[in-house]
Amino acid sequence: MALFNNHLGNRTAKYTRNTILVILLLLFAMATIFPIYFMIMSSFGDPVEAGAVSYSIWPSKFSLESYKFFFAFSEYSYRWILNSLVVATVVMVSNVVFATMAGYAFSKIQFRGRNVLFAILLAAMMIPYQVTQVPLYILIVNIFEIQNTYSALIMPTLVTVYNIFLAKQFMGTIPKEILESAKVEGCNQFQIFVKIIMPLSKTVMAVMAILTFMETWNTFFWPFLVTNTMDMQTIQVGLKNFRFANTTYFAPMMAGATISAVPMFILFFSLQRYFLEGVTVGAVKG
Amino acid sequence: MARASNVKNRLNRGDGAWAYAFIAIALVVYALFTAYPVVSAFLVSFQEYRPLGSEYIGFDNYSGIFASELFWKAIMNTLVYTVLTVPVALIISFAVAIAIMPLKKWAQTTFKAIYYLPAVASGVALSVVWLWIYDPLPGGILNQLIGMLGIPSQNWLGASSTSMFSLVLMSWLSSHGTSIIIYVAALLGIDESYYEAAEIDGATFWQKMWHIVLPCLKPTTLFLLVTGVIGSFQVFQNAYLMTGGGPDHSTTMVGLLIFDTAFKYFEFGKAAAQSLVLAAIIGVIAFIQFKFLGKDVEY
Amino acid sequence: MKSKTKIAASVLALTLSLGTLSACGSGNNNEPAQTAKPSNTANGGASEAKDTITALLPPVSPTYQENFKQMEADFNKLYPNLTLKIEPASWEDMTQKLDTQVNAGSPPDLAFIGSDGISKYAQMGMLLDIKDLVSADMIADYDEAALAYMKNGDGLYGLPAYMEVHSIGGNKQFLEEAGVDWKKVQQEGWTYDEFREAIKKGVVKEGDKTSRYGFVFATAGVASKDYLSILVKNAGMPSPFTKDLKYAYTSKNYLTVLNAVRELIDDGSMPKELSSVDAGKRWNMFLTGQTMITGKGLAVFENSANKNNAKIDAKDGSAVEGSIKVDYIALPLPSFAGQEPVSHAVVDGYVAFRGKKDPTDEHKANIAKAAYFLSSGQVAATTNNDLFAAHITKSAREAAASMESNRNPDNIAAVDKMLEHAAPARPDIPVELGSKAIKLENEVVIPKLQALLAGEITPQEMYDAVKKGAIEAFGADGVVQD
Repeated sequence: MALFNNHLGNRTAKYTRNTILVILLLLFAMATIFPIYFMIMSSFGDPVEAGAVSYSIWPSKFSLESYKFFFAFSEYSYRWILNSLVVATVVMVSNVVFATMAGYAFSKIQFRGRNVLFAILLAAMMIPYQVTQVPLYILIVNIFEIQNTYSALIMPTLVTVYNIFLAKQFMGTIPKEILESAKVEGCNQFQIFVKIIMPLSKTVMAVMAILTFMETWNTFFWPFLVTNTMDMQTIQVGLKNFRFANTTYFAPMMAGATISAVPMFILFFSLQRYFLEGVTVGAVKG
Repeated sequence: MARASNVKNRLNRGDGAWAYAFIAIALVVYALFTAYPVVSAFLVSFQEYRPLGSEYIGFDNYSGIFASELFWKAIMNTLVYTVLTVPVALIISFAVAIAIMPLKKWAQTTFKAIYYLPAVASGVALSVVWLWIYDPLPGGILNQLIGMLGIPSQNWLGASSTSMFSLVLMSWLSSHGTSIIIYVAALLGIDESYYEAAEIDGATFWQKMWHIVLPCLKPTTLFLLVTGVIGSFQVFQNAYLMTGGGPDHSTTMVGLLIFDTAFKYFEFGKAAAQSLVLAAIIGVIAFIQFKFLGKDVEY
Repeated sequence: MKSKTKIAASVLALTLSLGTLSACGSGNNNEPAQTAKPSNTANGGASEAKDTITALLPPVSPTYQENFKQMEADFNKLYPNLTLKIEPASWEDMTQKLDTQVNAGSPPDLAFIGSDGISKYAQMGMLLDIKDLVSADMIADYDEAALAYMKNGDGLYGLPAYMEVHSIGGNKQFLEEAGVDWKKVQQEGWTYDEFREAIKKGVVKEGDKTSRYGFVFATAGVASKDYLSILVKNAGMPSPFTKDLKYAYTSKNYLTVLNAVRELIDDGSMPKELSSVDAGKRWNMFLTGQTMITGKGLAVFENSANKNNAKIDAKDGSAVEGSIKVDYIALPLPSFAGQEPVSHAVVDGYVAFRGKKDPTDEHKANIAKAAYFLSSGQVAATTNNDLFAAHITKSAREAAASMESNRNPDNIAAVDKMLEHAAPARPDIPVELGSKAIKLENEVVIPKLQALLAGEITPQEMYDAVKKGAIEAFGADGVVQD
């Protein structure tokens, strides 16, 4: 990375610098990761009631009983994961496609009403969701009458303003000259979008994909509201079903939380590639 | 000048149609699932809401808010929380993103993954763990830790003096994953040729940082700042799950207050009014941020 | 008028058939109902339209949600034309979901909620008065005291599932070590001074560290309002409102209780971190021998303690880590300032809702049937046994007669005694007053209590704050001044 001088000539200086950086990063990483470490560690405990939690930093035992317990809790536990996968995938794909398109339009194309429309979009981000919840619920349940369906889970977040904003901000750094030269060569906007913008925006699209997937995957309140049966619930709703008034099955809950985090890891690592590819693609071609 | 703009106009012919096509679906989704509920909330804010026939009561909901001590306390709490969390989180994320850059690829990946982890795990599950970290008894994790430093054990979430700090600390250590990823992505997006040119001129690390990185990351920073502040003003989950707003309203944020007004007291009209006042406040702050930071950022 | 009597008649007829069916059903494993099914479907379709009743139900007892399928099937056997559709929800999320549905004007037909929630929904006009929909036979099945909790004004808005008292629970061994005659306390109660001395003796210290507290009550999270509201019942304030509808928590006795709350912590009998002890934590402290008395106590805790004892005996490592065997002893709360002890009664049940559209008379009748099905007979018997809760219907008592129970007879007697002293229902409190009191509790009482527990304000300061809030809400004439 050329921000850092890689040809200082002095290998020791470079080595020392990196070591210090790594130590600092590691310390911070430990503080960050501790709750998750604790979560995963506890998930290997026994499925015991009544908040029996030990404060030891090291696991006292390793057992998969809590995982079994979690899956045994409901016949629908696998279905919850499947539902979450379906919903999160659809929402992710549609956001990446439509938000990128809209972000490009708002960022690079001059059209009548652009600034006003964008300001209106942005303004919506400022309304706390608690207040739109009930009107939205009325719309989905009483007007569209699609409660307890995938559509109800997916539709409200097909494209989010956050993602449009994110896409637009990123595309702001794409030099105008590239687009203009493409136009001179006779490309129309759609061709420009597919041939130039999309390849240049892989990084932001990957970021968007991860963030959206994660957001959807972890959403609790909305799926909870619009699902009425166990078989349509998502993993987060199922996870919450797990908690009881006076007793918490701590270890199985942590097992469930760990299970729910696994698809996120898979997605994250599989999209890593695009972050790195961003380096080479980012250069102005011709 | 005139000729240039003529060429542009000719080249840009038909762009408008394409632009509308590009934003069409976004607009439809927005109109249905965001604008409609917001407009409906706006109407409700002038009503005493009843599921069976609401009643228009003019500005009563609004005047009630401005007279309420609790609302202003909640605004103050939210401001304190925002000032303590958002800038710090941005600085931490920026520093981490920069520090990650010189590392080998596998190390970069590992660190990014680690920092991103808290965002991956469900907030509900993590809040349970955090409750245990903040266990007020001397055997609690954090109390043991500060005990080693000779500090007496604290009643973290249970005392007004430490409750806000506890929420802030939790935010510092768990909400930077997204910003780090966005910063790293933005850093990778900076054109290599800028650095090359700077190096030919013999620029130092700090000079490159100041003249290349900071200006190039400005749109990203603005984005993170604006969304961070908005998010922080609407923050609800942690206070809800960890303290319920207590003790003695020391962690009652506006987001939580709105939630309580709507779902605990059923004063839906008042809740709508509260959130529109909040939206106005956020709007003003966002506008100021755009004005001061966004001067030379192109939208 | 005519149609009304017709419906009443058909409801009556149905009830009778229901009575016979459920009696058979519980005794004979539902076989009669099964054989009756074909004949019912043969001619039932013509006389009774198909209908679906929705019910939003939390995990009332640990095994409750596992029985949903069975409950739905049994109900369908009983009424072949009716379908019971159960939506499960956890306790915490239940209210939010219900509130959103209610606000949107499309609530479920039935929801399992506490009777204290009735005034909230009644004020919005979203409850269904089932007074004329349930038969005299059904009504006669319930204990009067419990049923009264489901009333508001003239209306009856649901049927109760159980009536429980919030008490406290002691560790038998520790109580005896501290010289507490728990049997006498179970029968005769105790005063605050006796209680204060007793829990002082229960404290065990190792050096300057307390290894066992006399008393730990959960005051964080959902339990925050329980502590004070349970205590004040025993200080001459059985309800937030006096008989002449004045707000009671401005009386001198309230201050007495607040002083006591502080004293117990300052004595060292309760942890100074009490304000952040939640329900799970204090139960863990009880099972691990870190406290002599725990609160709040419910009958079901004896069951949980017994289960853990069995796990300790089994030595398979499934018991709560570090736990010891505990004999759970149900104890009443102490009384303050020479007042009669009054138990905090909790009545939860199946409350009937109506949506934006007024439901048809037939649907209304079906809702009542479903509410009765869920809150009596076999279903109630199973659930309440699971909870160690007393049965409040004759039919459930009959159904439960054959079920086994390993409850401590002393505890049963103690709980019965407390139920005798249970605070009576107050359907006379107007909904506006009730909801104002709830708001005052949430916005002033609980936050100030948290501060009091954390030692940030004095009892007098809290008392003044509550009084100020009360006068703002109810006017100087609307509160008790003594």
